[in-house]
Amino acid sequence: MKIRKLFQKTQFGIFGLFGLIVLSTSALTIYTVQTHLSTEYEGNSRNIAKTIADASVDILLNRNLATLQSLIDQFVEIQGIRYVYITSDSGEFLAHTFVPGIPEAILNSDPNETKAVNRQLPGMGEFVEVGSPILAGFAGTVHVGMDLDVIGLKIQRAIGQQVYLISILLVVGVLGSIWFVNLAARPLGDLLAFAVKLAKEEDTDGTDAEQILARDDEAGELARLLLHISQRRTPSDDPPPAADGTG
Amino acid sequence: MRAGLTRRTFVRAGLAAMLAPPWLHSLNAGARAAAMRGIGPDGEIVLGVSAAFSGPSRGLGTELYRGAKSYFNHVNENGGVNGRKIALKLYDDGYQPDPCVENTVKLMLEDQVFLLFGYVGTPTVTRVLPMLKKFQAQRVYLFFPFTGAQPQREPPYGDFAFNLRASYRQETAGLVNNFVRIGRQRIAMFYQADAYGRSGWAGVRAALARHGVEIAGEATYRRGSRFTGSMRAQVEILKKASPEAVICVGAYAACAAFARDAVDLGLRVPIANLSFVGSENLLNLLSEGQDDPNGYTRYLVNSQVVPSYEDTSIPAVKEYRELMARYDPQVPEELVKEAYTPFPNSFVSLEGYLDAKLLVEILRRLKGRPDRSGLEEAVFSVRDYDLGIGEAVSFGPERRQGLQKVYYTVVEDGRFVTLDDWKAKFG
Repeated sequence: MKIRKLFQKTQFGIFGLFGLIVLSTSALTIYTVQTHLSTEYEGNSRNIAKTIADASVDILLNRNLATLQSLIDQFVEIQGIRYVYITSDSGEFLAHTFVPGIPEAILNSDPNETKAVNRQLPGMGEFVEVGSPILAGFAGTVHVGMDLDVIGLKIQRAIGQQVYLISILLVVGVLGSIWFVNLAARPLGDLLAFAVKLAKEEDTDGTDAEQILARDDEAGELARLLLHISQRRTPSDDPPPAADGTG
Repeated sequence: MRAGLTRRTFVRAGLAAMLAPPWLHSLNAGARAAAMRGIGPDGEIVLGVSAAFSGPSRGLGTELYRGAKSYFNHVNENGGVNGRKIALKLYDDGYQPDPCVENTVKLMLEDQVFLLFGYVGTPTVTRVLPMLKKFQAQRVYLFFPFTGAQPQREPPYGDFAFNLRASYRQETAGLVNNFVRIGRQRIAMFYQADAYGRSGWAGVRAALARHGVEIAGEATYRRGSRFTGSMRAQVEILKKASPEAVICVGAYAACAAFARDAVDLGLRVPIANLSFVGSENLLNLLSEGQDDPNGYTRYLVNSQVVPSYEDTSIPAVKEYRELMARYDPQVPEELVKEAYTPFPNSFVSLEGYLDAKLLVEILRRLKGRPDRSGLEEAVFSVRDYDLGIGEAVSFGPERRQGLQKVYYTVVEDGRFVTLDDWKAKFG
């Protein structure tokens, strides 16, 4: 006989609790990963912009624009960086990586802007652009555009991996809890079966009865108590013997 | 007394040589080997080449090689340079910077060539220059790259390269000055989005600035674009600027595609190209299979850094044509990945021939055993040297470019001819 009803609510509660943990952990993970990776990508873009800016000083002062172009071309090969352009202190575009031309939105933007700016460029996509001044801005500004689609894809992948792991933990946890509950319920089932046999005054000799009586836990204590009660109850509950009429 | 001392010194030297540990002998052998770097097993001088033998710009590497090889074959057949033949170690970089850098590492460190020669392109060469600086102790110089960009003409890398051709700065200045002279001041640019394009862009910008004008508009394309690709977006961008002329800084496939789309979309203004474009390949693409062979070519004006290969009154041109006809060199089969039909003569192969001719003259000036350490001095000894094209070549510590002259050509009767009257043609 199985005990199911007694632990149904417990199992439901465990499932609900795990679900809540998974949902809250996933939400926190999504928020943390998104925030951290976005910040990290922006930081990387800024570092790249600064690297280019630092390396550009001599090149710009020597007016060697071919070398400058060669320098920024190498950075566009880094995954996520979609464009780099360098403006002079007067706002002239000195080198860039745009094909087929510099987008209008960039042509009309502030060439000395160094704060992170979100850009929607027609035909190209969405970007976060950061800038870094060259020689404190006196020689110009380096602008680096990171592809938000690529960043988004990477964030989605990172979040997906985290949620996948948490989901696996949820399934393993729920299955494990059901198994443990069933494990705990099994002696109660045996006890119930033993008690029913006692009540029906059936034969309690047998392996199942021996096993439950041999247990040293609460189920064994209860089984032995039930047996004791049934054995004590039997003589008093019997009707008194009839007089034989010889006395 | 002196004789005694000499004998004693001699005896000491002999004893020292006999008692010297074996590693000292091998060290001396190593030093001798180092001095002999760049010399092949048969005593030939080995030159290292990394160039575009594949991809959309393979015509440039192939033609440059053919011109140079025709002269090297001629020299080798006639006893070589001071008794040594010239051998070429070739690698293909497809006009891409990274393979070019890898090839250069191989040429310098594994093959240990005597010098680097006949490189093609600005994006490739600009990435190789820091390598030359890094290994400057080995004194491996880059001779006569097929690019007019500034980085190998100026500090900090100018000391590691020698140039023969005029610079892009000179070519673009000449084009701008001629356009401005005939009243075409609104000049737009179509250029390759890399160091080569930027080099030409900088030249046009500087030349226009001298006239108080700015670039009217600009559009770019990616390196490696093919003729079959569309340049309509670029044409539309430039049309908005209403240019009176367009200067292209690119390779033949993309520039031909641009010229085709410009004419098709009604942008009918002079379209200028620099010498690097590969004029014959450009012409071939624009006229092949056309009902009107001049339809796309009548607006072209190409600057050149060598005289017309049609002008056989020029001694070097005459010799070049003879050698090309005699040897007709082909790129080794192992480097051929895509079919290419070479031209019997071209501006690029003429430049290759002139590069080889001057290099041979420099190698001749290395007296005795060829040694890299004497190369710079040998180059600087070239003063007013007659290369056979009517322009004297000179080098010096402050002069690392041999030729200065720029020529202008237009298409007539299916071939490039010298443009003498800009006003009559485009005025």
